[in-house]
Amino acid sequence: MGHLLDRVYLGAAWIAAFTILAIALLISAQIFLNFSTRALSLPLPSTIPSYADFSGFMLAAATFLAMPYTFRSGGHIRVSLITARLMPRARLVCEIAALAGAAFLTGFAVYFIWVLVAESVHYGDVSNGTIPVPLWIPQSAMGVGMTLLCISAIHSLVETLLRGAPVIAASEEV
Amino acid sequence: MSDPVVGLILLAVLFVFLAGGLWIALSLSAVAAVALAFFSNSSVGLNMAVTFWGHSHSWSLTALPLFILMGEILLRSRLSKDMFNGLAPWLGGLPGRLLHVNVLGCAIFAAVSGSSAATAATIGKMSIPELKSRGYPEGLILGTLAGSATLGLLIPPSIILIVYGVATEQSIARLFVAGLIPGALLVAMFGAYVAVVSWLNPDMIPVERSKLNLKEKLWEARGLIPVGLLIVGVIGAIYTGIASPTDAAALGVLLSILLAVLSGSFSRADFLDALLSAARTSCMIAFILLGAAFLAVAMGFTGLPRNLAAWIGGMGLSPYFLLFVLTIFFIVLGLFLDGISVVVLTTSIIMPMVMAVGIDPIWFGIYLVLVVEMSQITPPVGFNLFVIQGLTGIDILRIAKAAFPFFLLLVVAVVLITVFPGIVTYLPTAMNR
Amino acid sequence: DTWDMPTPYGDSTFHTQNIAQFAADIAEATDGALEITVHSGGSLFPHGEIRNVVRSGQVPIGEFFLSLLVNDDAAFGIDSQPFLATSYDDAARLWDAQRPVVTELLAEQGLMPLFSVPWPAQGLYTNGEVSSVEDLAGLRFRAYNAALEEFAALAGAAPVQVEAPDIPQAFATGQVEAMVTSPSTGANSTAWDFVTHYTAINAWVPKNIVVVNERAFRRLPDDVQAAVMDAAAAAQARGWEMSAAEADEKTAIMADNGMIIVEPSAELTAGLQEIGAQMLENWKSGASEAAMSILTAYQDQ
Ligand code: NA
Ligand code: NA
Repeated sequence: MGHLLDRVYLGAAWIAAFTILAIALLISAQIFLNFSTRALSLPLPSTIPSYADFSGFMLAAATFLAMPYTFRSGGHIRVSLITARLMPRARLVCEIAALAGAAFLTGFAVYFIWVLVAESVHYGDVSNGTIPVPLWIPQSAMGVGMTLLCISAIHSLVETLLRGAPVIAASEEV
Repeated sequence: MSDPVVGLILLAVLFVFLAGGLWIALSLSAVAAVALAFFSNSSVGLNMAVTFWGHSHSWSLTALPLFILMGEILLRSRLSKDMFNGLAPWLGGLPGRLLHVNVLGCAIFAAVSGSSAATAATIGKMSIPELKSRGYPEGLILGTLAGSATLGLLIPPSIILIVYGVATEQSIARLFVAGLIPGALLVAMFGAYVAVVSWLNPDMIPVERSKLNLKEKLWEARGLIPVGLLIVGVIGAIYTGIASPTDAAALGVLLSILLAVLSGSFSRADFLDALLSAARTSCMIAFILLGAAFLAVAMGFTGLPRNLAAWIGGMGLSPYFLLFVLTIFFIVLGLFLDGISVVVLTTSIIMPMVMAVGIDPIWFGIYLVLVVEMSQITPPVGFNLFVIQGLTGIDILRIAKAAFPFFLLLVVAVVLITVFPGIVTYLPTAMNR
Repeated sequence: DTWDMPTPYGDSTFHTQNIAQFAADIAEATDGALEITVHSGGSLFPHGEIRNVVRSGQVPIGEFFLSLLVNDDAAFGIDSQPFLATSYDDAARLWDAQRPVVTELLAEQGLMPLFSVPWPAQGLYTNGEVSSVEDLAGLRFRAYNAALEEFAALAGAAPVQVEAPDIPQAFATGQVEAMVTSPSTGANSTAWDFVTHYTAINAWVPKNIVVVNERAFRRLPDDVQAAVMDAAAAAQARGWEMSAAEADEKTAIMADNGMIIVEPSAELTAGLQEIGAQMLENWKSGASEAAMSILTAYQDQ
């Protein structure tokens, strides 16, 4: 079960990674059009409609879909100088409290993000650029990413309780 | 409840969350939630969702993951190592040697990127491992990087100057021009600091390779060509109008892939590694930015920064004393809020009092950038510290200690532009002709 | 009660100054029973979110650029249709026709319009004089929405997407060679740094709108509601006057800074109006019933 979940987190992170690559390609295509219409005067369309909007939406998707993997692999940072000086027992209590807090906060965020998505569906909200994009689509990527983050927090909490030791990688000192 | 009490309660809550090891992004969100729930007329959940959404898809943020990806690609190819080898013979004679790469690298990159986080991430990705392996002292590596990366805000293009220009209706072109001399001044000050510290502690700085003659130096310098091409390509695209500053990040990614592949040391596995690593780093930074944005919204609703600014305005101070008090005010706010939030939350109140005492708004914009630069390297909320912790795993408090001399240098810079305002106003005035 | 009010533009914009006066009027009329805290310059929420946060009740009141909602319904964007209403008188008649329809559309979202104030009419910024539509051919033309892209295409210009903060750099580097915007934006972004000519083609007169959450409004005591409506009516009247004064003042500032202010030639006007007529035909084919009813009411007046 835990193994399967970690594969889901990693899968989402790969989608995020290729989304970032897609942003680079989309913007580069626009630069290519700028260059070929201006410098070479080629008869090409001069803009990709709403490319800034699409880049933004892809950025949001990449950010949120990478959340659970980043969390599990110790990529999200925190202040550890103080807890590091505690006795192991107290440190474990802090870790459990932090994970419980993370699960609660992200769960709270998940609920209201889906409320926001439902509102966008209800009112048929669309983006205000040249190409109207129904907002529930990019917002759902945010919802999925945040939901997975919440699951990964609960998952880590359960593992920590079962093992009696922290499971989130302490970010490594290079 | 009075404002000071509310402020102290929120601070205490923030410190408890951070000290207890709650993730920074979540700590900021949690304090925002407490502020909204107990000290505002608005609701918590929807404000959180709307802020997360509204700030996660902004166009100006798209450059961040792209610049990070560029750094990851350069790191994994031979290019960044070649660059250091090419620079070593030239900088080897200077006190501080390759530490100047951090300062100069950040200054050059600042001309491409508008944010200090992207500058820290891109330059740090390459320079930290290289300088560590060459034996440079950790404190100076981290300090020069954290401090110099703040140049991303001052040397144009600059996101913060755009935000200030839009909020106060000042010419963004003039603000950009006004940042040039102060930017050069800071580069010189940071470089001089590195040189003096190294000169006083010669044992700390490792010896670079023995003396080469000019021919050998030039031959080693061929390693600078690929990265030089990359920089020229990206800056050239911006200044010929082929690409906007945000677009330029994408061009940087493509060019760095191309150069890495041509250098023959970049495999498909390296590429995939770089992609996943960029997704992870930019996710970490973006999540903290979202938490900080949510905290800024909560502060907007509670009115704390506004009331504090209005209180200062009510004191009827002389220009110099006003600037002194404002500097303290911005440093304190900058401890807990990110720089852009400080600007948007307070300009409404600050600008009228600044104009009333006859301070030039262009000068004030540059002054603001300098104090915002300070906020990037002060704990607990300092984005350069977060980025460098993300890169190295070293705790932000230790990084903040290493960066403290650079904080003081920024304070000196503020004093300098106050005493000699021409440093800022000379170029924009010359534009008027 | 204290109401938080997000607005998108900075304190030196006349819209924001008008709203500050509106807030002061209400506080005075209600003896402090309703205080409005204005959060200007997008400091609380990004512009694109303001309608939504008023709708959900996170804030009771807010301001935004009306034709931002054009993708929801063409009725919201009719004031940004080129060469349909080009003077303040026409714009006022268009708002008379538009107001009932917009009120109905917003009511479906639990929103109620309080008042709407126009920006000065949109003029043309170029390097060199433009005396006919042919002079626009081949120019890289800033377009930030579908209507402007269509306009650029019909004028034979090349539409380029440039976000507002990038404008000076885009002109400086030749990424853009022409744009249409109000004298306010022109003067505030020191357009003389990058263009030489301003042609007052008065292409359209777009508006900002202030809306209130209907439930929040109904919760107010009757006398406070009345005070809000009175202050809104006063703000609307004052805002239109401020806008006209702003147009003259900002045009004068551009002239003082060395820009050449040009009245459009008869040939240019005729050519632009032809484009406007063609765009209106295209617009009709995609317009909703509500939007068509505005056009009919406006043209029948
Ligand atoms: Na910069
Ligand atoms: Na700080």
